[in-house]
Amino acid sequence: MTQRASSADTAFEVADRLRLAEPWEVFAERSRRYEIHLNGGTVEMVRGPIELEGFALRVFRFRDGNVGIGFQASTDLSDEGVRLAASDSESLATFSQFPAKTLELPGPVPSGSQGVEVCDAQLWDQPMQRLEEYVHALLASFDGKRDVVPSFGSVRATLAETTLGNSAGLRVAYPHTSIEREFAVKALEGPEGSPPGEYWVNDICRRLDAAGLPAQVEEWCAYARDARRAALAPTGELPVLLPPSTLVEILPPVIGSRWTGVARLREMSPPLGEKWGWEELSVTDDGRVPWGVGSSPVDDEGSPRRRTELLSRGEVTELLYDVPHAGAFDTQSTGNAARGVALFNRDWRRFLTAPVLSSSTLIVSPGKGGTDAELIESVGDGLWVQQLGAAFPNPYSGAFGGELRMGYRIRHGKLAEPVRGGTVGGFVAAPPGRSSLLSDVVGIGSTPSLVEGVHTPTLLIRSLTVAGR
Amino acid sequence: MGDLSEFEAELIRALTRLGRRTRFAEVLAQSVEGELVRLDRRSTSVRKSPRLKGAVLRAWNGGRWVEAAMSALDAEAVGRTTEALETSLWNTTAVSEPPGVSSSFRGEWTTLPPHPMRDVPPEELISLGRDVLSWGMAVPAIHDVRVEIAWNDEERFYLNTAGARCHQLLSRVREAVAPVAMENGRLESDVEGEGGMGGRERLALLTQEKVTEAAQNTVKLLRASPPPTGEMAVLLDPRCTGVFAHESFGHGTEADQFVRDRSYLKPILGKVVAPEFVTIVDSGAYPGEWGSMYFDDEGYPAQRTALVDRGRFVGALHDRVTAAAYHVRPTGNARRSDFLSRLFVRMTNTYVEPGDWSLDELVREARDGVLLEHPTMGIEDPQGGQMQIKLRRGRRIQHGELGDVVSSMALSGKVLDFLRSIRGVSRRSDFMMDPGSCGKGLTDLLPAGSGGSYLLATAVVGPA
Repeated sequence: MTQRASSADTAFEVADRLRLAEPWEVFAERSRRYEIHLNGGTVEMVRGPIELEGFALRVFRFRDGNVGIGFQASTDLSDEGVRLAASDSESLATFSQFPAKTLELPGPVPSGSQGVEVCDAQLWDQPMQRLEEYVHALLASFDGKRDVVPSFGSVRATLAETTLGNSAGLRVAYPHTSIEREFAVKALEGPEGSPPGEYWVNDICRRLDAAGLPAQVEEWCAYARDARRAALAPTGELPVLLPPSTLVEILPPVIGSRWTGVARLREMSPPLGEKWGWEELSVTDDGRVPWGVGSSPVDDEGSPRRRTELLSRGEVTELLYDVPHAGAFDTQSTGNAARGVALFNRDWRRFLTAPVLSSSTLIVSPGKGGTDAELIESVGDGLWVQQLGAAFPNPYSGAFGGELRMGYRIRHGKLAEPVRGGTVGGFVAAPPGRSSLLSDVVGIGSTPSLVEGVHTPTLLIRSLTVAGR
Repeated sequence: MGDLSEFEAELIRALTRLGRRTRFAEVLAQSVEGELVRLDRRSTSVRKSPRLKGAVLRAWNGGRWVEAAMSALDAEAVGRTTEALETSLWNTTAVSEPPGVSSSFRGEWTTLPPHPMRDVPPEELISLGRDVLSWGMAVPAIHDVRVEIAWNDEERFYLNTAGARCHQLLSRVREAVAPVAMENGRLESDVEGEGGMGGRERLALLTQEKVTEAAQNTVKLLRASPPPTGEMAVLLDPRCTGVFAHESFGHGTEADQFVRDRSYLKPILGKVVAPEFVTIVDSGAYPGEWGSMYFDDEGYPAQRTALVDRGRFVGALHDRVTAAAYHVRPTGNARRSDFLSRLFVRMTNTYVEPGDWSLDELVREARDGVLLEHPTMGIEDPQGGQMQIKLRRGRRIQHGELGDVVSSMALSGKVLDFLRSIRGVSRRSDFMMDPGSCGKGLTDLLPAGSGGSYLLATAVVGPA
């Protein structure tokens, strides 16, 4: 994998045609997308190229101590298209109102600034060929397996060239790749009378890694087999181990909204200096993690990505800001503006949405809990939550939880019988004195891994409410 | 009608080119116009929908479907994309016929709201939003109120090599009010929303009485008890019944899951799965609702499809491929979330038909359990037959009476067990449809309505 320069200039071409009195910003992307859809072990549909090129314009109009932000996205790159988008943005800026007296748009990126690895060069050069090879390797990983088969799935690759320009002189361009995988495996044999067991994987990453597939497929197959013999979860308060695959659904929606200027503006952010987490728990946001799905050289307003310490040994230390919210509090952007952040995933058509404040990669500092096996041993009796139906936390109340899709009882310090069905839930974050996931962490593993928007080890939670039989 | 027909000649040229290389090709062009007004205590924003139009070409290459899409409709873009698809058609030696019957429907359909939203100036929507904000903020302990008013006019234009020509313009509007209550650092939020086809006349939720009630209900969550835990009688409110219909017999009856041999429902088609008073329907032809439409994205008209008829599982949702596999007609459920996304079998408006119980009778029948209100999301497991529904709030049912408010929770259970446990469904006067956003997996979101009235059954619930 090597770094790659972008040849796109969409935003710059649009910028050169703008005649605006107010500060402005152009974010553009030229994307190609390729998809292979599977039905069982056969290719059901091939899609691509799906071509999309367009831009989004923001105009900032200051009046009465506020700024009006006008946003318009368009795929019409003609002179008339640019003129219409500019006219819309100016008009919408007069209706909008945001409490910032000034805004500091990012200026030119200093020469010599380091890039960040977000582009799979091999995929970039031969997208459909690489995708076909990857799917072939995926299906080949099932060779010789008689009891587990592919159920359905898709692999969708997006190759995008992002360009950004603004009235402060910013001109930046970079290419990036992203891959969305959806794949289900089905176990067919097992105890008499049980329906097939399925394990469903849904993730986003930056590069195709065919070499890692055999081990992943083995793991998915094991979960599918166990799904056939899983029993309903018990009812009660249990110590719970949450691995990265579960934490990725739980941490970003709450920390990425409460630890921000958005929450501060609405007086909902945790006060700096307060103790909201266990004394050994530290969480940092980092937009420069290699191959992180939230990583890039600059954020989606052009501010350099950086590290921001959000929780240090349990104490709230910093919040995340984009340009408008930094302007509201007379502080600096932390480079956390993101486009295409959708309900359950990241939308590849990023220029169609205005930037919002979002965490990039949340890094939970490794602890002294050791490997997952050592953490399990330390629990004695409890529950391992491999997959939730959907944790879907409420960013205001912090409540999270949902159906247990795949888990294991822990008995005598070892993983025991699989469990499936019933619910697991609690609160992600709460003020001091109230029980929450962050405050009830009692063990942190030593071996973190990167799963989409988190880089974290497994966390041991003192207890969560489990509802089942 | 919109302006996509301006590109008809170019699109027909593309189909004619593809028709020389394939037995079947189709094109779906789409454009959207709309606006979103969003307010809270600190900010106001007005957004227009992206100026986005484009088309997707699909062709049968003798062995499978191939597709290509473009975000411009000029001759150069259409030509380039057609050429890319032609290349895919060359790279095959397969010669089979495309599965199923190609639509040859022709028609023009337009939603005609009495008060089109495009005629409402942004100033009027902002003013309405500020009224809503002030009504909500007047309730003690309300910390903020988020107000959203959105509309879009969506144009879809479908042509194929079998002669179909379907052109429709759909006008949708929705509103949502989300009060946030705060006390001693504890935050709670709730959402009230409505939506459907139409215009300004559909903004019925935005009255002082309804907004005040929504805010007062949110404040009650600050003092809500934790929900009960375990298996118990559950009384679903009309919205929750709709989510149940959608997650249980909606996704499970999307017949692509049958073809993939991935639905636990496939082997029991034709069997009795619920009490005789339970009927579950999907209908894209339901007048004026959020998931309604005139034709689907294969050019078939929307229709009413009974999934469970008086307790018996009788039908599934089909596109042309799955319909061919099951020797039935397509049901008008082939949908793309947009021209950039692939086509799947999808729901439209899915609901449980009303029964003949009153709410009071159902509460008495439940005796002890919980009333589940305000679903936030649901998720299905077509293979394992599980479902999950998350809810913002509920109320205890004790000794046959409604009791204290309880905080957010999740329902979990096996769909077939849940169906068998249904004890009653309330009357038509309680029936309502709710606008929702439905994904296939976690992607390809599109508008889907869900509805019902109160429904009493048994399931596992717990905090979430």
